[in-house]
This record gives sequence, structure tokens and C-alpha cells, in this order.
Amino acid sequence: MDTLTLALLATLSPLPAFFVALVLLNNRPSMAQAVAIFGTALALLGSVGLLLQGPTEPLRFAWFSSGQIHLQFGFLLDGMSLMFGVAVALITLCVMIYSLGYMAADPGRARYFAMLSLFAWAMLSFVYAVDLLQSFIFWELVGLASFFLIGFWYEKPEASAAARKAFLMTRIGDVGLFIGILMILPLTNNFDLPALLDPDTGLVKLAGPALSTITLLIFMGIVGKSAQFPLHTWLPDAMEGPTPVSALLHSATMVAAGVYLMARLHPLFMAAPDTLHIVLAVAAFTALLSATIAMVATDIKKVLAYSSISQLGFMLMGLAAGSLFAGVFHLITHAVFKALLFLCSGVYIHHFATNDMREIGRRGGRSLGATTLGLAIGAGALAGLPPLAGFFSKEEIFAALGHEGSTLFYIAALIAAFLTAYYTARMFFLIALPDEVVKEHHDDSHHGSPQPIVMLAPIALLAIGAVGLGFFGAAIAAQLGLVPAHHEIASMLPAVGVVILGMALAYFDYGRTAAPRRGFIAAVPALHALFVNKWYIDEFYRAVFVRLNDALSALFFAIESRFFDDGFDQVGHSAIRAGSGASRLQNGWVQFYAGATMFFVGLAALYIGLR
Amino acid sequence: MIEQAVLYLFVGLVLLGGLMAAFARQVLYAIIGLGVALLGLSGVFLFLGSPFVAAMQLLIYIGGITVAIVFAMMLSISMAVQPPQSHRGKSALAVVAGALFFAAVFVAMRGAEFPSPAGALPADAWAISRIGHLLLNAYNVVFETLSVVLLLAIVGAILIARRERKTA
Amino acid sequence: MTLESYLALGLALFSLGLVAALSQRNLIAVLIGIELMMNAASLNFMAFNRYVVEDPAVGQVFVLIIIGLAAAEVAIFLSIILRLYRQRREIDSEHITTLKG
Repeated sequence: MDTLTLALLATLSPLPAFFVALVLLNNRPSMAQAVAIFGTALALLGSVGLLLQGPTEPLRFAWFSSGQIHLQFGFLLDGMSLMFGVAVALITLCVMIYSLGYMAADPGRARYFAMLSLFAWAMLSFVYAVDLLQSFIFWELVGLASFFLIGFWYEKPEASAAARKAFLMTRIGDVGLFIGILMILPLTNNFDLPALLDPDTGLVKLAGPALSTITLLIFMGIVGKSAQFPLHTWLPDAMEGPTPVSALLHSATMVAAGVYLMARLHPLFMAAPDTLHIVLAVAAFTALLSATIAMVATDIKKVLAYSSISQLGFMLMGLAAGSLFAGVFHLITHAVFKALLFLCSGVYIHHFATNDMREIGRRGGRSLGATTLGLAIGAGALAGLPPLAGFFSKEEIFAALGHEGSTLFYIAALIAAFLTAYYTARMFFLIALPDEVVKEHHDDSHHGSPQPIVMLAPIALLAIGAVGLGFFGAAIAAQLGLVPAHHEIASMLPAVGVVILGMALAYFDYGRTAAPRRGFIAAVPALHALFVNKWYIDEFYRAVFVRLNDALSALFFAIESRFFDDGFDQVGHSAIRAGSGASRLQNGWVQFYAGATMFFVGLAALYIGLR
Repeated sequence: MIEQAVLYLFVGLVLLGGLMAAFARQVLYAIIGLGVALLGLSGVFLFLGSPFVAAMQLLIYIGGITVAIVFAMMLSISMAVQPPQSHRGKSALAVVAGALFFAAVFVAMRGAEFPSPAGALPADAWAISRIGHLLLNAYNVVFETLSVVLLLAIVGAILIARRERKTA
Repeated sequence: MTLESYLALGLALFSLGLVAALSQRNLIAVLIGIELMMNAASLNFMAFNRYVVEDPAVGQVFVLIIIGLAAAEVAIFLSIILRLYRQRREIDSEHITTLKG
């Protein structure tokens, strides 16, 4: 098959599935599932085909031209998009298959699979987009799909509130992104990504305040989509959605779209050192902040959500430190092992109907052996335990940070990695090594098997990825056209050291038989309270922005109702008055008509006569 | 001298009658004003050299039309007995419109130039027989058409004014 | 008196007739105003006939025709007034505001 067919197959095939599942098969969920999975499988086929063909010239199709401005649609087929396309399609397919088990009892699952198809279409089109405006369009469509999926159980007030919050918070960033994109237009007259990134003729030669402003505005969008501080608060709330959705959108793919965009525009960012400093600071702070919150959370999905935020911060740190490879590598490994962790947590949640890790542990979480093995692999990869995938990609980030020479950020990253190891191990110990196991009086009959094959197969696939992906670093670098630096064993020691230290501390706190089963941080109650309450950021937003917004809207309402409303009412009233006044002219008095006629005829005749 | 005085008397009658007709509240006074104006006008016609037209004016207008109007007034007596006040704005508008019209045409008239007849008139130019000849020769069609119009007007007036039969 | 003064007299009479036709409430008075205007026109014909025209018989013929038409018009107008009065017991121009009978 030629490239164009493959590209269309890879991007467009979930779209008909979306329409068919949503419109035609709303009452036949099993057929809707089949259609959706078929569409995504086709997309996976297309993207794998593209990957096998290798990087080629972009395909461009003119959309419209206005004067000097040329907009286009098309497919950018370089190493990065090919890899990420396959990753997205593969994880989406895994999650869909997993959802066959997870959502088996949900009456609305036709809609669920339709929305997953919508997401797959938008996300794949975003990944392969050749035009920055095209990217932005699908970026927003991805956000829309996220909105629908977070609010999938819309009867739950928390879910619909979380959907709204996610939508609004990401919009804040997207406003900046859109302005940033529009600022590019007058400079180049098009949004063609390869042209923008061309080292000789692209935007890079513009280096200076203008480029800093543009990249900073684009970074706003990334902050929103990738849930970085200060717009990160939507992601933990987004866990109200179904767990497979959390796995797919809110850890593996959609939130990574921000990182992907930054990786796409990496040369631009590299040419704007001011922006890079800000990115580095924001990402480091986010990584630390969310790691501390994950350290004390008890809801397994919240732990994973904050961990996602933290890991996204890691990726951005790697990119901002100048290493495209580090960011992309961690992006891909993280997508795999975080999806794995979420899918495992979904099994527990599905079986025990609770999100509380302690509860899961007490009620025999480890009895689900295969899942617990998957959890162990995912946790190890997340913590950065060699030789799992996370170790290699994190190592790249540390190397980049060390190479970049900023000790402060290097130390921050080390602390974040330490905390990551700590909370990951804590999560595992809470589930696998509970202090007591309550005998289960659970009636399994309506659940069927706690670990159906459709749920285990994706877990197994992702677990293999989490184990083995780390060794493909060189291949990934080659796809990107980079040569990975060779790292000394000695330079790895600090990172491995903090990981082992963190896990040991977690074992000391939670794992051993006589463990206190409370975190070391509880020794400092003030900090503990701060972390448990998520640094009071939501409360701060509520107190400042919501209250400010309320005050402003009250003010505007007053202005509107008193001033504009009344004013427009007056306009309406005066029109009515003018109308009734004018209609009094139409009183039917022939004499009045004739008099008025004669008046004006006389006036005109007099004017003509006197002229 | 005397001729001039009589002419001005007739002119005065015309204006007086016109004013009465225009501003009288009682319809009877308006009819009287009409009669006075028509009387004055027939006098003016006399001075304009046409005793025949003056006589016709007296006969038809004063003798026919004015009397017919009086009959109509008597048949619609209630308005004649209790004349309602005219709407003020409407009357003012009428007066202003009339004044404007007067001013406009007056200005136009002052600016106009009228030719004088070239030569002397033939001796029988004002003879009544010439009117008869003209009516029955050059203006025959107009004359006959006017007859038809009058006939139709009479028939129409009867049709409009007659009482409708109850059995309809 | 000159042609202009006759014309001015006719104009004055016409304007007075106009005022009467536009301001009077009684339809009979309105008719009177219209009659005045027609007579003003007759006066103009007679004046031009006297001072401008080659053949003075033509103007007189015109005035006779006007008188005839005025008679016809009055006949119709009065019959309408009678009809109206029979139907509505009034002939007030300010109350007759619809075309519907």
C-alpha cells in the first residue's frame, strides 16, 4: 500500500467507527464495541505500516489560501510521529480490549466506545499533523473527547463537575497556545511544521523576544494539556472517569500531547533560552509538588494521577534540558508502564469496588496474582528500578540535566525521583503486603472471573513493554535521527541510589511486618497536612479566582442589568413609542393625509420657486 | 370709477365668501359663504367680458348646486345643529398648508411671463353664438361626453342614495 | 385690474377652498371647499381667456364644461353623504377613517 493510503488508514479509520457506534448502534453495545475495536485495529495496522515504511517526506494538501497565507492539511511522517502514532494506536487498542471486561456491565458502553473512537481519531490526527493549525484543531478535539469521557458517568455530580473543570482548565492554556500559534502566522505566512523548524529558513533564526513570547504562549497550552503547575488540578479530578479512560487519556496519550507538542517544536524552544528556564522551573516544581501529594494519597487512582503529573514534569525537564531523546524516550516508556499501572488498578477497583489502597490490600488484593505481578512490574518501571523501562528513560533525563549543568534542577530531579520510588513502593506494599487480610465474604457470581482474559491480555502486553522497552533506546534514538550518548556507570549511581533509598524507606514504613504503616512525613504534621490537602491549591483557586470571578460577575451583572439592559430596553421602548407615534399618523383621516401632502408639496414648490 | 368700485365690491364678495366657507363652524354659514363667493365670482366674470358665463354661474351654481347642498344639509341635520369642534392640529395643518400653497404659487406667478394676444380681436369674438358653434363643432365630443357623464352621475347618485329594499 | 391680480384672486380663492376642504369636519363643508377650488380654476380660465388667448370663446367653453362637471360631482358627492348619514347618523370626516362601509 502506498503511503497516503496507510496514513489515511492510520488517522481516519476510527472516525466512521465513532459515527456508527454513536448513531446507529447506540442500542447494540456489543456491535458498537466490535466496530470501535475494528476501527482502532485498522488504525494500528496503518500506523505500523507507516512505521515499517520508515520516515518519508510529509504529505501536504492545500486547505485554502488567502493572499499570502497558505493553510494545509497533511501528514508529517518523521520518526517521532511514526513511533508515537504506533504507541497511541497500540495503547488505545489495549485499552479498548480491556474495556470489554471493565465496562461489560455498563449500559452506556456504546457511547463509551464511540467516544474512545473519537479520541483515537483526534489523537492520531494530531500526532500525524503537518500543519500547526491542524495540530491545534485536533488538540482541541482531543480535549473534547477527554471532556466526554471524564463526564461519561454524567449522572454522578462529581464526574460532570470534573469534566467541566478539565475542560475549563485546559482552555486557559489553550487560549495562550492559540495566541502563540496566531503570532507565528504574520512571520511565516504558513504553519507548515517542517518549514517552521527548518534551521536555516524557519522561525529559529528569529531568536529573540518574539520567539520567547511565542514559545512561552505555546508552553501555556502545554501546561494546560499536560497538567503542569499551576493548571494541574484538573487531572486528579479527571480520575472520576472510567479507569481505562484514565489509563488512556489521562496518563498515557492525551496528557502526553503537550509533551509531544514541545518535542515537535523542540528546535524553537531550544532557540529561546528564556522560555527554557521557565519550562525547567515549572516542570521541576510540578514534579516535586505532585510527588509529595502522591506520597500521602490513599486513593490508588489519585496516586497514579499525581504520579502522571510528576512524570510529565520529568519529560518536560528532559526536553528543556536540551535532550529531545530523553523527553521522547520517557514519554513512550511512561505511556506503556503508566497505562499498565492504571489497567492493573482498574482490575482491583473493578473487583473490590473501592479506590482505597489500604482497603484493597486488606481485602486480599494480592490474591489477584497476575494483576499484582503486573502492578509490581509497572511500579518498578515507574520507580526507575533497573532494568525496567523507566530506569533507562529516567537515566537519560538525569544525564541531560547533569549535562546541562544546573545543579539545582539536577537535585530537584533527584528528590522527585526519590519520592517517586517511595510512593510507588508504598502503593505496592499497601496492596500486596497488608497488615491484616480480612476474609472475603464476597459473592463473585455477578462479576464472573475477577481477571477476565480481555483484561489480562492488555496487561500482559503492556507488562512486556514495560520490561523490554528500555533496551530499545538506541532504536528510538535512531528513529529520531539522534545518536544516544553513552553513559558511564558512575553517573548512574546517584539516580539508582535514590531509587533504592526510596524503596527501602517505603519498606521500612509500610512493608516490613512491624511497620508503623504511616509515612515518615507524618512526623511533621504541618507538611503532612499540606500534602494531604494538595498544597491547598484548589482551595486557593476557589478563594481567589472563583471568589474574584463571582465578584466580577456580580459587578458585570449589575452593570449589565442597570446600564446595558435598561439601555437596550430603552431602545426597544423608544422603537415602540416611535412606532405607535408613527402609527398615529396612519389614523385614516383623509384630510390629514391631504393636508400633510399639501404641506410638503407647498414647501417643495416654495423652495423651487425661491431658488 | 364706479366700474372699478363695483369690481372691487365683487372681488371683496369673493374673498369674504371664501373666508366664510373656509372658517365657518356652522355648515349653514359655509353654504352662505359659498353663495356669496359664487355671486361675487359671477360679477367678476361679467367684468372679464362674459355675461353668458356669469349668467350660467348664477343659474347653475347658485340656483342649482347651492340649493342642492342646502337640501343635503337639511337631510343631515344633526351635524348642522350641533357642529363639533374641529381637531386643532388638523386645522392648523390645513391653514399652514393653504398658506404654503398660496405662497408657492404666488412666487411662481410673479416669476412667470404671460404673452399678450398678437392682433386685434374680430368683432364677433365675444358673441355667444360662437360659444354655441364651438360646443357643437370643435368641442362636440367633449360636450357629448359631458352629457353622458351627467347622465351617469344622476343614475349613480340615485343608485347610491336610494333606500335598499329590506328583502335582499 | 391686471391679469396678475385676477390670478391672485383665483389663487386666494383656491387656497381658501383648500383650507376648507382640509379642515372642516362636516363633509358638506368639505364639498363646499372643493367647489370653491373648482371656481378658482374657472376664474383662472376666464382671466387667461380675457388677457392671453387669441379666441375668447374657448375659455368660456371650458368654464361651461367645468360647471357641468361640478354639477355631476356634486350630485355624486351629495348622494354619498346621504348614504353615509343613513348608515352612521353622522357625516363627520374625522370619524370616517376606514374604507369598509
